[in-house]
Amino acid sequence: MSGVVWMGYLLDDQPGFTLVQSPFVHEGRRVFGADSDATTLAVAAVLHRLQHDDVESVSVPEGIDASTVNDATGVMIHENEDSTAEWDLLLSDEATVVLAREGAEVELSTMDVEIEVDGAFHEAITNAWQQELAMHHVSQGAYVSQAQYQEAARSRLMLEGQSGSSGPVWPPRFSVSRKDTAPTSERMTRTGTVQTWTTLSAAGAPSEFALRAPVLGGVSTVLLRLDNGPNGVFLVVDDEEFEPSMDAPMELVVRRIYAQEGFIRYGLKARPMHV
Amino acid sequence: MVDVAVVGAGQTKYGNHALGLKGMWAEAAQRAFESVDGDFSPSAIDEAFIGSLAFGGAQLGNTAALLTEHSAMDGIPVRRVENACASSGFAFRDAWMAIKSGQADVVVAGGIEKMNDLTAERRRYWLGVSGDTEWERLAGLTFPGTYALMARRYFHEFEASHDDLVHVSVKNHHHGSMNPLAHIQKEVDFEKAAGGFMVADPLTLYDCCPTSDGASCVVLAADHVAKQLTDTPVWVRGSGAASDYLALHDRPSITQLKATQQAASRAYGMAGLTARDIDLAEVHDCFTIAEVLATEDLGFAGRGEGGLFAREGRGRLNQGDVTVNASGGLKSKGHPLGATGTGQVVEVFKQLRHQVEAARQVNDVEHALTHNVGGSGATCAVHVFGRERA
Repeated sequence: MSGVVWMGYLLDDQPGFTLVQSPFVHEGRRVFGADSDATTLAVAAVLHRLQHDDVESVSVPEGIDASTVNDATGVMIHENEDSTAEWDLLLSDEATVVLAREGAEVELSTMDVEIEVDGAFHEAITNAWQQELAMHHVSQGAYVSQAQYQEAARSRLMLEGQSGSSGPVWPPRFSVSRKDTAPTSERMTRTGTVQTWTTLSAAGAPSEFALRAPVLGGVSTVLLRLDNGPNGVFLVVDDEEFEPSMDAPMELVVRRIYAQEGFIRYGLKARPMHV
Repeated sequence: MVDVAVVGAGQTKYGNHALGLKGMWAEAAQRAFESVDGDFSPSAIDEAFIGSLAFGGAQLGNTAALLTEHSAMDGIPVRRVENACASSGFAFRDAWMAIKSGQADVVVAGGIEKMNDLTAERRRYWLGVSGDTEWERLAGLTFPGTYALMARRYFHEFEASHDDLVHVSVKNHHHGSMNPLAHIQKEVDFEKAAGGFMVADPLTLYDCCPTSDGASCVVLAADHVAKQLTDTPVWVRGSGAASDYLALHDRPSITQLKATQQAASRAYGMAGLTARDIDLAEVHDCFTIAEVLATEDLGFAGRGEGGLFAREGRGRLNQGDVTVNASGGLKSKGHPLGATGTGQVVEVFKQLRHQVEAARQVNDVEHALTHNVGGSGATCAVHVFGRERA
């Protein structure tokens, strides 16, 4: 196979394993896109497998953020190659992640699609992430603490919302209510249509994006109406070039948002459907 | 029940100020006290409410007590009021309520913000902290972005375009060019305003208010005290306030501000007036699209007709039924966040007493309104004023 796109990545889905690979190459090697990493590829692999297989537990190697995989997919995580997990996430050094059933033989296929990235851009965005990730880097951005980020991680990464009297509610809200009227958990769709959008210039972008916005030429945000009702605002993926348009259908995929105190905040970003 | 009047009001010039917090506040308070016609001493003040987001100036805690010790108000009960850009609109409402309740006779409401003593990055940090940070900031939004989302949706739903916003910008620069206290005192023509640097598509630099330092201060008094201090009090005829979801995505519509509609309805109802009775409106045009929405939400234009209202120049000084932002508005007069609400009251106070420069005096002004919004519409305070008591 070659060139099947799943959540912006290349996909090879076999009976014993699912391979997800970055479409980008630089100097003959596969590299991650501007806001992707092994964790975002791993999430895409698990979500694809969940479409046709029961994936209850996965072992996650170092280099993939286990908490994010759990929050984005709901599967049970065993960190560091725990032998009791049914599935193993395997990490290649060429922007490739494989989700393999325990004991399955994995034969890596060759992907034909190769998108050459501009060398200067690749170097600049990689350096910007390295600076942002450094523990000594003090972001001037809005402080979303780890506790606050993690409290809403399921909502942010898996679109977990709640039932409401006039339809589903997302993001969910705490409410003071009688126990018998408490809302039940409800999952939102990963697709929606653009209600409005904007692109902020690098000079106007939030300061937590100060290192990367100049490299990216600004940041774009869409307000989507999710197919099952609620609205949400999302960044547009950094690794695909397109301009949003009103009423355009979009899908939501997990990407890096920004880093602070050495900790990457992941979230859902919007990309065009059927691409 | 007691009626409340504004008997004194003053402000600093808005802009990139050389003074810090204490100096700016002292200047605004001095001007407010001096504007009281009769024999007035700050020792007569019972309470003070001072609005501020605490953006810059390096005084996060006990801000109000620090400021009042520099304006001869030592020892009185004070507090900082924070509702983002609507901080002093709510400080004014709190002052009005303190007198209405019978607990105080003379109360100061004011506001202050120091914004230009921070680096560009730290300024951008503060300009997006009053939305639903956890969701909107992580989606890349500061307030230019939030209002840009509203503008594009407005163009989509109604017969409007960016040209309508340009008309707002040109008008407010024209008004501000005549206001010696305005941050930007220069005219801007249509072509220049239409072709500005793109900040957040579709909003350009000329759609955005400047980053201003400034302070404002007003003195409110109960009717029996007001009569002793002046023959021309400005009566607070109505006060309305409301709140809404912080995040745009939680609101059923983003082309109208429910908080403004509710606050205006309450203020008009209390005043026994309607939008048709208002001669001057100082509205919260932090971005030009915000003025378009405000003209609709306050009842000066029909739903979806705010763009047309701007295009036809109906808010220009003495050109239509109501003059909108005779001061230049936030766009030209400036927007020192916490100072803006009571700064609007300063303008209304002077206009209703015919004390502004002749070139920008609203003719035959009897009733005026202030409209102060926090964030992208999460909080709003509307006040209606009149030359007559009721």
